[in-house]
Amino acid sequence: MTVFKNYIKSLFLLELLKGLRLTGRYFFAKKFTVQYPEERAPMSPRFRGLHAQRRYDNGEERCIACKLCEATCPALAITIDVEAREDGSRRTSRYDIDLFKCIFCGFCQESCPVDAIVETRVYEYAFEKRGENIMTKDKLLAVGDEHESQISADIAAQAKYR
Amino acid sequence: MTDELVTIEVDGRELKAKPGTMLIDVTDAAGINIPRFCYHKKLSVSANCRMCLVEVEKVPKPLPACCTPVNEGMKVSTRSPMALGAQKGTMEFLLINHPLDCPICDQGGECELQDVAVGYGSDVSRYSEAKRVVPQRDIGPLIATDFTRCIHCTRCVRFGAEIAGVRELGATGRGEHMTIGTFVEKSVDSEMSGNVIDLCPVGSLTAKPSRYKARAWELTQHDSVAPHDSVGSNIHVHTRNNRVVRVHPKENESINEIWLSDRDRFSYEGLNSEDRLTQPMVRKNGEWQEVEWQEALEFAVKGLQSAAGSDGDQLATLVSANSTLEELYLAQKLTRGMDSGNIDHRLRQSDFRLDGNDSPVPGLGITIQGIESLDAALLVGSNVRKEQPIIAHRLRKAAKSGAKVSFINPLWIDLHFEADQFVSTPAVMVDNLASIAKAASAKLTGNLAKLVKAAEVSETAKSVAEQLKSANNGVIMLGNQAAAHPDYSLLVVLASAIAEATNTSLSYIPALSNSVGAALAGALPHRGPAASLVEKCGANAQMMQSKPRKAYLLMGAEPGFDFWDPSLINSALDQAECVVALTAYHSESLASCADVMLPIAGFAETSGTLVNAEGTWQSFNGLVKPQGDARPAWKVLRVLGNLLDIDGFDQNSSDDVLEELKSHAAETAIDNSVSTKTAGELNSSTEGLYRIGDVPMYASDALVRRASSLQRTNSAEPAAVRLSANQAKSSDVEEEETLVVVQDGNRAQLPLIIDPRVPDGAVWISSALPGTEKLGGQFGVVTLEKA
Ligand code: SF4
Ligand code: SF4
Ligand code: SF4
Ligand code: FES
Repeated sequence: MTVFKNYIKSLFLLELLKGLRLTGRYFFAKKFTVQYPEERAPMSPRFRGLHAQRRYDNGEERCIACKLCEATCPALAITIDVEAREDGSRRTSRYDIDLFKCIFCGFCQESCPVDAIVETRVYEYAFEKRGENIMTKDKLLAVGDEHESQISADIAAQAKYR
Repeated sequence: MTDELVTIEVDGRELKAKPGTMLIDVTDAAGINIPRFCYHKKLSVSANCRMCLVEVEKVPKPLPACCTPVNEGMKVSTRSPMALGAQKGTMEFLLINHPLDCPICDQGGECELQDVAVGYGSDVSRYSEAKRVVPQRDIGPLIATDFTRCIHCTRCVRFGAEIAGVRELGATGRGEHMTIGTFVEKSVDSEMSGNVIDLCPVGSLTAKPSRYKARAWELTQHDSVAPHDSVGSNIHVHTRNNRVVRVHPKENESINEIWLSDRDRFSYEGLNSEDRLTQPMVRKNGEWQEVEWQEALEFAVKGLQSAAGSDGDQLATLVSANSTLEELYLAQKLTRGMDSGNIDHRLRQSDFRLDGNDSPVPGLGITIQGIESLDAALLVGSNVRKEQPIIAHRLRKAAKSGAKVSFINPLWIDLHFEADQFVSTPAVMVDNLASIAKAASAKLTGNLAKLVKAAEVSETAKSVAEQLKSANNGVIMLGNQAAAHPDYSLLVVLASAIAEATNTSLSYIPALSNSVGAALAGALPHRGPAASLVEKCGANAQMMQSKPRKAYLLMGAEPGFDFWDPSLINSALDQAECVVALTAYHSESLASCADVMLPIAGFAETSGTLVNAEGTWQSFNGLVKPQGDARPAWKVLRVLGNLLDIDGFDQNSSDDVLEELKSHAAETAIDNSVSTKTAGELNSSTEGLYRIGDVPMYASDALVRRASSLQRTNSAEPAAVRLSANQAKSSDVEEEETLVVVQDGNRAQLPLIIDPRVPDGAVWISSALPGTEKLGGQFGVVTLEKA
């Protein structure tokens, strides 16, 4: 009897059709594939992408070189050197984030008393040469300048949860 | 008051204490924490911050623990709702005017206000009105101020009044308008001023040289020993990324208590000076070239061997007494291994007539702490306050509790305690001491007996002799200017005879951090390790220079700045065939006369041992890597010893060297005995204008001479000719005129300053400063010419 059942199953490829039923269901269902790069997935304002250093409206860099982000970074990705600027204010003379070390936890942003270091929505970047993984102060400020409107909108949106 | 202890109860714990002790002292000893700002164990109680409020049973209001004496049966609670409420309230008031910008404050992370606010304050501020702002003040290159952060604890003010002995900082205004400032706009210049940085509980006073250099949490703290004066203050060296960032005092009640002199605190800056020698250099055909170690060492060995290989007496070794015990020991071993006895560390001495009868291991002879319990002290040739700030601080304490202190000096010195000063030209100093000897009826023979007999006993001499005689615990101390005096031997013998006659003790204040160690290590021509007299006595520092040798080995010394007579050493080195210099710095003064410069590790870069004035051996580790290709000097000497084929140079660590020396000298104690009662003729004269050449505080060694912030202080004055107004008139010269000083045919152009501290007949021209590095001896006749 079992022999006969198996014979029929394999003769009419019933197992195959069973599997094809699932394929068929998805074939006609609504598609959810995002056609990157033409299309993009939606993104939370809390997204933690590439870092940026921000400025105040008058162009003054926000960072006051307190070193809290450096201290809090669990991956030891941040390196800061401090010096007094000519006007006597406390500023970084070096602010490096090593993106190979960074685990994008966002603690740096969390710890910053002046909202200077932030993680933006930018996630499209690649390195071609050794050394490009180090985000220097200039690079960070440039990212900040480019995305300031988005960054401030995101921070404003999150303000009530902090 | 009885000696019985009272029992009190604090937070349910029973504690015993002497009646009348302040509550906070009792709880501190028991490890119960009470928050405080104005209280400090080394300062008087001012009880103005009210942070230490606690509840005491049966007292309706909370009481400040720092000024509440304990008495029997007292029940205290430090954490009751009332105490906590009071503390929280105080904290809130303190923060009303304190800026909440810890992220840019240099104290952030090590701030008492932060700590206490976290522990006892509230989490949010209710205050949203305007805060007080105090204008910035510049009080000098060492201390950065931000008086807006001041919480008016007055610790800095009390430090000035009670410890430093100069009221430099003061509080003006009342209530909210109270501000801390310098009284007369100028800077803070005390030689111990840096201590206010440690005392200030907030970021109002911070260290300027290390400002913004690092956060407290990034620093690694190491123990070490300060490398300048002979106190050997215990220090914490804070490093980051293989660099010394700052130096703090380490508490050691028997040595430096909790204080540190500015020189010990800020000299580390010299480590990172641009002058550092980072690669061995040899002079080939008159040109300096950087070479590898191998080549430099071979060059040095060849030079030494060809100049002094056959005749050991042609090798002269001159070492700085700031070198470690290990380095000094190996240096003498190497010298003696080359069959030469010519080694000396007494580079600033000119009178060696006492050698052989001198004190074997000259040192304090009492403990540093013991200075406090003196009841009479006579200091001869010592500007103790600038030379040994911690010893001066102890002396000050003694003077405050009634000790009679007097000075016999060639210059009036600024003191921070009551003392009698007898100031005269160098030659008359000897007479003054002789007159005290006569008043004390000291026993002397030969020349000195004659001198004493001829001396007139003045009233002052009588009173000093009387003070010494009636003292239970008196000393006669010989300082740096005595050691540099052309009649040092006379001063020593006179002092020791007076000490004997008055039943006081003879004491030397060693000049450098390892002067005592140098004697123990045997860096002397007439004494080997453990200060034992050697059979074949070598040439002393003076002879090595006045009768030039063919080969010189210098360690840690710069010819123009570390020697009694720069012109003499320069001419000796110029005539030599081979000069090997172990040095941490590429200095002009060496480059002009050396043939090989071997870069050695500086302070904090090498392990070693220093023996301080009281004879305490203190070892430390190397904390940061030596800069560039520099190597610890003991290693360099070890390899030189090997290459020169001398036996006994196979130690593997500085500890091995130390062990070897300990087997000779571990038991050798300070010994100030002088085995003669006479000395030679007087060298110094009263004829002509006599130069007094001290070594300014911030010029005492190569490291501090390169500490840029210290060099910018008011205490680091440029070289000048100083005369009293009388003397200037009789020499017919005027203030601010540029004069040419002529000494033994050497000339230097220097400005004239009228200075009331100089006695008539003398001219004060400091040594070890740029401008005087070509002049003659620290003491001697000079003539002044108009430029
Ligand atoms: S995101 Fe996290 S790991 Fe990356 S730099 Fe910031 S703190 Fe460091
Ligand atoms: S980025 Fe923010 S946390 Fe980091 S040093 Fe600058 S101010 Fe401080
Ligand atoms: S400056 Fe510092 S030590 Fe002086 S009163 Fe203010 S807080 Fe106290
Ligand atoms: S510590 Fe007691 S009042 Fe300041």
